[in-house]
Amino acid sequence: MKTKIGQAAALGLLMITTAALAQSKPVAGEVAEGSLKGKTLTFVSYGGIYQDGQIAALKEFVDKSGVTLLSDGPTEISKLQAQVESGNVTWDVVDTGDFPPYVYCGKLFQKLDFSKIDTSNIPEGQISECSVPAMNYGVVLMYNTEKYKDNPPKSWKDFFDIEKFPGSRALEGSGDLSGGMIEQALLAAGGSVENMTVADIDKAIEKVRSLGPDTIFWKTGADSQQLAESGEADMIAMWTGRAMTAVKNGAKYTPAWQDWLVVMDQMTIPIGVKDPDAAHALINAYLGKSAQETLAKTTSYTPIHKDAKPEVDEITAAFMTNTPDKLKLGYQQNIKFWVENFEVANEKWNALMAGN
Amino acid sequence: MATRVIDSRDTVPAVAADGRRRWFRGQAFWLVAPALLLLVICLGLPLAIVTLRSFSEPQWGWQNYAWFFGTPVNLTVLQRTFAISAWVTLVCLIAGYPYAYVMTAVGPKMRLILILCVLVPFWVSGVVRTLAWVILLQDSGVINSVIKAVGLSPVKLIRTQTGVVIGMAQVLLPFMILPLYSVMKTIDLRLMQAARSLGASPARAFAQVYLPLSLPGVYAGAIIVFILALGFYITPALLGGPRSTMLSTLIQNQVLSLLNWGRGGAMGVVLLIATFVLLALAAPLSRQPHKTGSRR
Repeated sequence: MKTKIGQAAALGLLMITTAALAQSKPVAGEVAEGSLKGKTLTFVSYGGIYQDGQIAALKEFVDKSGVTLLSDGPTEISKLQAQVESGNVTWDVVDTGDFPPYVYCGKLFQKLDFSKIDTSNIPEGQISECSVPAMNYGVVLMYNTEKYKDNPPKSWKDFFDIEKFPGSRALEGSGDLSGGMIEQALLAAGGSVENMTVADIDKAIEKVRSLGPDTIFWKTGADSQQLAESGEADMIAMWTGRAMTAVKNGAKYTPAWQDWLVVMDQMTIPIGVKDPDAAHALINAYLGKSAQETLAKTTSYTPIHKDAKPEVDEITAAFMTNTPDKLKLGYQQNIKFWVENFEVANEKWNALMAGN
Repeated sequence: MATRVIDSRDTVPAVAADGRRRWFRGQAFWLVAPALLLLVICLGLPLAIVTLRSFSEPQWGWQNYAWFFGTPVNLTVLQRTFAISAWVTLVCLIAGYPYAYVMTAVGPKMRLILILCVLVPFWVSGVVRTLAWVILLQDSGVINSVIKAVGLSPVKLIRTQTGVVIGMAQVLLPFMILPLYSVMKTIDLRLMQAARSLGASPARAFAQVYLPLSLPGVYAGAIIVFILALGFYITPALLGGPRSTMLSTLIQNQVLSLLNWGRGGAMGVVLLIATFVLLALAAPLSRQPHKTGSRR
């Protein structure tokens, strides 16, 4: 009798420690067999090839855990706000842009429990209290090779130098704040990004304005791709994915990688989701090596697992941003500054976008 | 006694008719109830909430309106929104008036074809149509290729207000043509013949007989097109540049990017009130033709 109790106790203890160990050391990409059977998670992202690729990357997680995965979108922070305020949150894991998890951390997004997510393979400096990256990409300077034959632009400084490099320019005008671009404009205007102030934003925007009235502010990625393929602008600040597609479609443009702007999408969990543990499990699975390889293969975005080696074609590989040489040239915006000055910076940037 | 009999004969059916009318009035209410309910729930209520939030966020007061009128870019864009809408209305009128007239003058088969030509674009998504305009209007696009081919210098169409007006006018043209047609088809063309036989030139017959009679259609079409144009979003976003940004884009930005429902609401309310004021100013104009008609 005694021994039986002892055995049971020992077994129980063993089980508890294994469980505790399993919990304290999650491995990216892994989920316990059948652990989410009967549960439903709604994953929200921006649709298109991107979301299809993300769902493909999560297939292993779905098959193994037994969860029912629903897909919704596109991500709109205002819709999420309505859900959180009404206390009826149906979005479990949300893919957002760069800033929202910083601006609305603790307000719309919950602080992540990093004992449930293995973040050891994510590139430096990309994790925040409320988010992990969803993928990496960049804004890169693409120039028309026929226009600038022997004297191509090499950096954003050249992009903003209309005298040395005459020609039309195009940059992002989707409405989202592009902090990195403003910082580059400030540097080109002779300013410094150390201890930036609000007045520096004006200085930078003045520099953008100096590009002239023919400057194009593209609204969507497809828009920018169209500009490259039809040769409408001589230099275009483009998302790497769209730049790659344009080159694949025959656009005669080449990237200048110096100070390409590092951008990422973010994985977040809204406040008030019904099953935070399941949501954390999804994110942990999403960060796995093979999930990230699938994502990269299907979407051409750069994986955020250091060891991921997706099999992609030559042009796609040329636009992946996680190679050591490109990581060295990447430029990280001052997220802290832009989050602190989110509203005023947006107002100034949008006034520029509205032709004022 | 006799009069009483007559009275009762007279009043009994009258009472019955009145009763039936009252009964019908009650029924009629139920007939419009679904539409009314839909309007209250889907239009009235959200509008009330938007208005409320424009005063209540972030705290009670006029702050959002003070911000709106204190920010130059808002006023520029508001003014521009009305200007673009007016241009679109004018272009639609110039293109739609003769078209609607021809629709009344041709045979039934041709009319069907003309109506189809107006309606088919309705069945194509607005985004697709706008992207088609991008291909036509861009610097290396179809229109400029033709212009260059005949040896003229290319014109800037895309990302200009001209481009936006062209694209919007195409999308909104049916809203001008259909009201015009519905009024024009009731005009008796023999009136024109009568005017001609009394010695009026074709131009004078048109200006003094046909045009005044068609004005109700012009007003109806113009008001629908103008009001729809005020809220346009996709077309100016895709065909326009910074200097053709319309108010809807700014509202979208406040609400969707900045979660500033108060400011977004205030912008919407300002646009709504400005529209009402403009319509109130235009109302006397639309009564003009009746007066002149009765005078003559």
